Amino acid sequence: MEKLSWYFVIASILWTGIAIVLYLAYALSGLRAARMRTAGMETTTTAMGIVSGPRTAAIGSYATIVGWLAVFTLFFALVFRAIATGHGPFQNMYEFSLAFALGVLVTYMYFEHKYHQRVLALIAMPVALAMMLYAWTIPSTIEPLVPALQNNLLLTVHVAVAIIAYGSFAIAFGAALLYTIQPEGGRWGLPKPQVLDEIGYRAVVVGYPFLTLTIILGAVWANTAWGTYWSWDPKETASLVTWLIYGAYLHARVVRGWRGQRAAWLLIIGFAAVLFTYFGNLFFGGLHSYSGLSNNQ
Amino acid sequence: MAHEVRTPPLQPAAVAAGPAAAKTGFMDRVDAALEGLWHLLTSMRVAMVLMILLAALCVIGSLVIQMTAEQSSNDALRADFLSMVRPRFGGWTNVMDTLGLFNIFNSVVFITLVTALMISITACSIHRVPGAWRTATKPRVDVGPGFFEHAPQRESIVVHASSAEALDRVQGVLKKRHYRTLIADDGTVHLYADRFRFMAFASLAGHVALLLILVGAIIGGRVGYRNQYFPVAEGTTVPTGTEAGLQLQLIDFTDSYYSTTGAPKDYTSQVVLLKDGQQVAAQTIRVNEPMTYNGATYYQRSFGPAVAVTVKDASGNVVFGEGVPLDRAAPDGSDRAAGVVQLPSGEMLAVTGTDGTTDTVIQPGQVQVALYGSSASAATDAKIFDQGKPQALGAYTVTFDREAKYTVLSISRDPGQYLVWLGALMLFAGFTLVFLLPQRRVWARISSRGAGSVLSVASLGRRDAALGTDFDDLITDIRTALQAPAQA
Repeated sequence: MEKLSWYFVIASILWTGIAIVLYLAYALSGLRAARMRTAGMETTTTAMGIVSGPRTAAIGSYATIVGWLAVFTLFFALVFRAIATGHGPFQNMYEFSLAFALGVLVTYMYFEHKYHQRVLALIAMPVALAMMLYAWTIPSTIEPLVPALQNNLLLTVHVAVAIIAYGSFAIAFGAALLYTIQPEGGRWGLPKPQVLDEIGYRAVVVGYPFLTLTIILGAVWANTAWGTYWSWDPKETASLVTWLIYGAYLHARVVRGWRGQRAAWLLIIGFAAVLFTYFGNLFFGGLHSYSGLSNNQ
Repeated sequence: MAHEVRTPPLQPAAVAAGPAAAKTGFMDRVDAALEGLWHLLTSMRVAMVLMILLAALCVIGSLVIQMTAEQSSNDALRADFLSMVRPRFGGWTNVMDTLGLFNIFNSVVFITLVTALMISITACSIHRVPGAWRTATKPRVDVGPGFFEHAPQRESIVVHASSAEALDRVQGVLKKRHYRTLIADDGTVHLYADRFRFMAFASLAGHVALLLILVGAIIGGRVGYRNQYFPVAEGTTVPTGTEAGLQLQLIDFTDSYYSTTGAPKDYTSQVVLLKDGQQVAAQTIRVNEPMTYNGATYYQRSFGPAVAVTVKDASGNVVFGEGVPLDRAAPDGSDRAAGVVQLPSGEMLAVTGTDGTTDTVIQPGQVQVALYGSSASAATDAKIFDQGKPQALGAYTVTFDREAKYTVLSISRDPGQYLVWLGALMLFAGFTLVFLLPQRRVWARISSRGAGSVLSVASLGRRDAALGTDFDDLITDIRTALQAPAQA
């Protein structure tokens, strides 16, 4: 099962790589079509204002199919891994990273399905790919659970909820990045700034309740295992930072002078906070190591 | 409360409160100052800036190692902490300590910011309740013609039907979409429709939840009981300290390890709670399975070696016969672990265990027991004991019965946590509901023109909502309904 899981991870890495190439081809083809239109040649314009050339739509739908293949192979990689270990993906960074990648892929595909903005894949997919490649470089050995982590249901839900939140924030990050690099008025065949702004907002609207639940479930676990629901542990604190930044963003969007550019920057900083929280295990000098229960805590 | 205040309010009252050019008396100035303060407190910009500042402090708090509560309240422990971190921060250590960077979550700046944010949330909530209630229960149906020319989302449709017929069809569409509709007719038909009209209160609940969580945390800190270090040796009964007459007995402690990796597998403490000698609870406590009795919860925390000793006085009475946790440094300053026995006479026994196979003084299978007078700092007698072989020690006879283990539990009683969990539930439910089912409000106005009528529809959504929105869908549906052939 462990081997099978690994083959599925490799497959998912390949599918994601191919999907990135296809999405890039799709974007370039759309760009070319936009130039053709400027030159007075025949093109079509869809409801969302996307200009498409003769082959653009076909490339786009291939990209989508390959994207879904990446999602399913990674999902089954995690399922086989769970069968092999007997628990959800919460034992080490290898498992978290694959789960993170799955969260990004799933939320991206959901947002593509809903809002048809394939350009976002050019940011979301590389984030997912980077996570999988990172997982590749770190040890994947299955180790039995130390006592503190023996809470399968709670911790599986905790991770599942967290990756949806992180995935949504990756989408919001993608939208905000495109928003900020885009010159005034929009160019390069990118979606309109308003569309990007709206997608960023909707991604946070999905991610925020999930992040809230992640933190609450973390507090429930801390209370069960350690006897305190909050102890200003670096990991807890970093997740609070993330929560505060996205909370600020939700308010910024309705405050005059903070809409648009500044709100987009909050989304970029917010995703930096997500990565800071995520990789925090590696450099936080906290009292708890999350890999297990040390004898004197 | 981000979502229901996207646009300026309909009621001009709040905006009109500008400075009237009257004579500025003292009371007027007080009024103006209070009004300014209220404006500041209810400002979302202020709340947002507070959140960003708090986030910045938390970043420091997660990167810089923080003292524990004991270290910050005890000067000696604090000094220990500072000398521990000095190699890492060098000359900056004292500067950072003065700035409170090692204790950031108790710093004045942090507490001030949290307080300000909580005041802001309270003020905002109070500020918005009346409006939200009015909107939900007594919304304005007639908003005047100007609204339909300036609303962020608006649409005007010329209808080839009477205004009554048009109203009927528009209402049909709204009903199908589960909108509530209210109508006023003064020659022109005014229609108001809304969905999820109480959702402003879900958002409110989400915000009030933060206050509940903070209050719960403060209550927990003030009236809660917390003992992070409660050692009990196997076979020993110790008062819990949580309530009179309650004692905890450790029957057995087991630490098990995986044979493959040697990593810890399980720590289990089999305990019994006795109230006035009667058993009231019994459980095997594990890391993720604490025991709760009468509001207090007992958690597995750590463990160590213990020894069981029996001490008899000169007349043969047993004055001590329990396990002794070897949980402190030996009095001789070595690496050995030691435990202390308090005798009824006021004298003390220090029990020191072996340091392992390399220890030539106290060999494995042996302990050293030293007798201290009630005030003397030097031992009056000390001997090495083999297991099961009684020896005289001062006026006592001491037997090293066997090696054992002790468990360390932590005990906490936190009445504030129920508020915290209630707050957590409200926080999650409130935000989920308000994002999932946002309040929607639509106004329409139908006026007759010739044989037909003109329908204007408007809503307060964002003007730049470039994605397909609910409003656009609604307009499409209304157009379709109006184009359908009239029923004869």
